[in-house]
Amino acid sequence: MFRTALLSAMLALAAYAAAAWLTHDFQVWTAEGARRLEVALQPVPSPAVEVDGPGIGPQALSQYLADGQSVTLVDFVYTRCQTVCLAMGSSFQQLQRALREGGGKVKLLSISFDGSHDTPGVLQAYAARLSADPPLWRFVRMPDPQATQRLLADFQVVVVPDGRGDFEHNAALLVVDQKGRLVRIFDYAEQQLALDYARHLAGAAAPSP
Amino acid sequence: MKLPAVPSRGAMALMAAALLCLLAWPNARHGLEASMTLHMLVQYPLLALAGYLLAAALPRHWTARLHPWNAHGISGLFAAALMLAILMIPRVLDLALVDGRIETLKYLALLACGAAIRLSWRPAGLLVQGFFLGNVLPMMAVVGNLYETSPLRVCNAYLLDDQVQLGQMLVWVAAATAAAWFAWLVRALMQRDAAAMAPDEGATKPAAR
Repeated sequence: MFRTALLSAMLALAAYAAAAWLTHDFQVWTAEGARRLEVALQPVPSPAVEVDGPGIGPQALSQYLADGQSVTLVDFVYTRCQTVCLAMGSSFQQLQRALREGGGKVKLLSISFDGSHDTPGVLQAYAARLSADPPLWRFVRMPDPQATQRLLADFQVVVVPDGRGDFEHNAALLVVDQKGRLVRIFDYAEQQLALDYARHLAGAAAPSP
Repeated sequence: MKLPAVPSRGAMALMAAALLCLLAWPNARHGLEASMTLHMLVQYPLLALAGYLLAAALPRHWTARLHPWNAHGISGLFAAALMLAILMIPRVLDLALVDGRIETLKYLALLACGAAIRLSWRPAGLLVQGFFLGNVLPMMAVVGNLYETSPLRVCNAYLLDDQVQLGQMLVWVAAATAAAWFAWLVRALMQRDAAAMAPDEGATKPAAR
C-alpha cells in the first residue's frame, strides 16, 4: 500500500509538471493562447521571404517591415474570402480611419497567403474595393509558395481549407515593431487595444527632436 | 472445432502489434488526424486498445511484480485519469500535429493508459472503479460541453463544426459509459446478493439481515 501511495504521489507530481509546461503555468489551454503568450514573451523576427504587391516591388518582407521608423499592424487575408476576411477588412478600414485622424508612425499591411491567386493586380483591385489608402495600408503576397509556408510557420498562422472552397485561419492583428519583429498578437475584436499598443511602440521609439 | 473464448497471449500480442503498426502508418495517422472528432474519438481509443492488448499479452510473472505498486489498481487508474485529463487539453491536439516529439509522447501516453486500465481494472473492484469513472466521465462531459458551446475554435488546425460535433459526441460517450457501467454494477451486485443467499437455502443457519 505504501508503494502504491508513493507511486501515485509521483504520478500526480509528474502530471502537474506536464500540465504546467503544456499550459504555460495554467495560463493558456489552446495553441492560439500559447502562440500569443510566446510572441509577447519572445518577439519573432520576420523572415526574409520575398514579397510583392501593388506599389511594392519584389523585396524581403523583413526589410519592408524593419524600416526603423514605423510600427506595422499586419493581418493575413486571401481575396477570395467571403467570411472572416470581410470582418478583417472592415476592422482594417476602421483602423485606417483612425490612422488618418492622427497617424503617428503606424501603418497597415495585409499579407495574402493565397499567392498563386492573389497577384499584385488582384490585390490592387481588392485594395480599391476596400478603399485602402496606399500610404497607410498596403497589400503584399509571396510569389513563392514555399516562402508562404515559411512565413506562416514562423508566425504560427494555421490555414485550414474548410471544404467549401474557403479557408479557416487563426485570424488576428499582428503588431510588428520597427525592427521587423512580431511583438504582440491581438484578437481582432481588440483593434483599439492593438492600435494603442502600436502607437505606444511607435511613440516610444520616435527620435526626439 | 471451437475458438477459445479468450484469445491466447500470442494472439493478443499480434493484434496489438498489428493495430499499433496500422496507427503508426503515416497515411492512417494523417487520415485520423485530419478531423478533430476522428483524432480524439477514434485514434485515441484505438491507441488505448493497443495498449490494453499489449498489457493483456504480458507474461503473468511480469505483471505480478507490478502488484505491490498498484494495490487495488489505484495507481494504474489514477495514472490513466491523469493522462486522459492532460490529453484532452486542446493544445495537445494542435501540438501533436506539428511537433513529432509531442506526437510520440501522445502515442506512448495512450498506450500506457490502455495498459494501465487492463492491469488495474479487475484488481480495482467496484469502489475504485466507480471513483475512477466518477472523475473521468464528468471531466469528459465538461470538456465536451466546452467544445460544443465555445464560439471560438479551440484548435487552430480544426474547423468549428468539427469541434461542435466532437463536443456532442464526448458528452454522449461519457453518458453511455456511465450508463453501461451502472448497468454492469447493478448486475454484479445482484449476482453477489444471489451468491450470498444461495448457501443459506440448504443451511440451518439463519441469513444475516
